[in-house]
Amino acid sequence: MMNNLYRSEEASARGDAALIVISLFFAGLLVVAFTSNPIASGTQPGERAPIFTSKAYNGNGWETFVFDDLLTPEWSPNSTGDAPWIAVEFMDTDCGHCKNAAEKVGNWAEQYSSSVWDGPEVIFIAVSVEFVGDSSRSEIEEFRDSNEHTFVYVDDLGLDVVGKWDVGATPTYFLVQPDGLVAWNSGQTVNSIGWDADKEEVFPLIDYTQDNYIELNEAIEQLTKKYGGDSQ
Amino acid sequence: MNEYTILSFHAALIVYGVLLMTPLGEGVGSFLVNKWPSTATKRGRTLAGLMFVCTGGFTVSAHTLWMHNKLSEGGSVCSGSSVLNCDGLIGNVDYNTVPYINQPWGLLGMVAFCVLLWIVITVAKEPLAFATPTFLKAGLGATIAGLPVIGLLVSYEIKEGLICPFCTTAHIANIIAMVAFFVLLKMYESDEWAPELKKTRK
Repeated sequence: MMNNLYRSEEASARGDAALIVISLFFAGLLVVAFTSNPIASGTQPGERAPIFTSKAYNGNGWETFVFDDLLTPEWSPNSTGDAPWIAVEFMDTDCGHCKNAAEKVGNWAEQYSSSVWDGPEVIFIAVSVEFVGDSSRSEIEEFRDSNEHTFVYVDDLGLDVVGKWDVGATPTYFLVQPDGLVAWNSGQTVNSIGWDADKEEVFPLIDYTQDNYIELNEAIEQLTKKYGGDSQ
Repeated sequence: MNEYTILSFHAALIVYGVLLMTPLGEGVGSFLVNKWPSTATKRGRTLAGLMFVCTGGFTVSAHTLWMHNKLSEGGSVCSGSSVLNCDGLIGNVDYNTVPYINQPWGLLGMVAFCVLLWIVITVAKEPLAFATPTFLKAGLGATIAGLPVIGLLVSYEIKEGLICPFCTTAHIANIIAMVAFFVLLKMYESDEWAPELKKTRK
C-alpha cells in the first residue's frame, strides 16, 4: 500500500510539472503567433522566393549575381516609388521550347523595362539549367548573344537553384514582387493563379488570349499594375 | 528597444541561475527561502538555478522563433556590419530549419528546454522519489544529445562567418544545464542530496 502511495505522489509531481511546462510552452507559442506573421519559403504564389547567389553572364563576362540585391524588402502594395518586379525564366540551352520562346521573352524584357510601359519596371533574369543534354557556359553565352537578350543569364548547370525553386521542366517562368514574394508561377497545376499582395490571398488571372494558359506577359500586365505607386 | 537589451533579459535569467548554483547562491537566493524553503539547501538552490537556466534557454529560443517569423516577413531584426548578426543565419533558408522535419530551430529549442524544465521541476517536487536518478540521467542525456546539434549550428556560423548572439545564448544555456545535471547526479550519489536523511540514519 505504501508503495502505491509513493507512486501516486510521484505521478502527481510529474503531472503538476507537466502542467506548468505545457502552459509555459503554449504561452510562448501564443506570444510568437500573435506578434508575427510568418511567410513560408517556396515558389507558390504568396511564398517567399528562395534566394540564391551564382555567376551570371551579362554580355561582357561572368560576374557574381546575388538575387537579394534585386529585392526591395520595404515594398508594400501601397508604397510609392519605382521598386522593380522580377521575372525569372528557368531555361535550358538545349530545350526546344526555350529556343522557340527566346524571341518573345527578349521582346517582353525590352517592353517592360522601357519608358513606353506605364507599369513598374520588370527586371528579367534567365536561369540556365542542364536538363537536356550537356550544356556549358559557352553555350549559355552563345544562346544569349544570338538572341540579342539584354538581361543576365545565371549559371545553374549544377542544378542548385532549380532544386530550391522546385522547377521540373523548362521553360518555367516566375513573377516575383519587389519584396521577394512569388506573385505568379507558370509551373502550377493551374497556372492562372496570381497573388494579391493587398488582400494576401490568391486570385484568378484573366486569360486574355483564351488559350487556357497564362503567359508571363499576361501575368505581368495584370499583377504589376494592381497596386498604387508613383511609377504606375 | 535594442535587440541586445532584450537579449540581456534572457541572459539575466541564465546568469542568475548560474549564480544560484555557485557558492554565491546562498546570498543571492536568500529572498527565495521564505517562498520556497527548499532553496535553503544546496540541492534546492541547484535545482532552482537550473530552472532559471532552462527558463532563460526557453525564452531565448522563443525569441529566435519570433525572429525566424519576422525575417520571413521580410523584416530585419538583428543585423549589423559586424560579425554579430542573427539575420544572416536565422534568415538563411539553407540553415534556419531542422533537417528532415523542416521546423525552425527556435521551436526545437523551446521543446528541448521545456522537457528539461519538466525534468527539473519534477525532481524538485519529489527529490526523494524512486525515479529521481532516472530523471537526472535523462536530463544529462538530453543535454549531451544537444551537443551535436550545437556543433551543427556552430558549423553554420563558421561557414557564414557570422555569430548569432541569441542562438549562442541558447547553446550556452544547454551546456550549463548539462553541467548542472552532472553536478546534481553526483550530489544524488552523495549525502549532500538529503542531509536530513543522513542524520536520521546516524
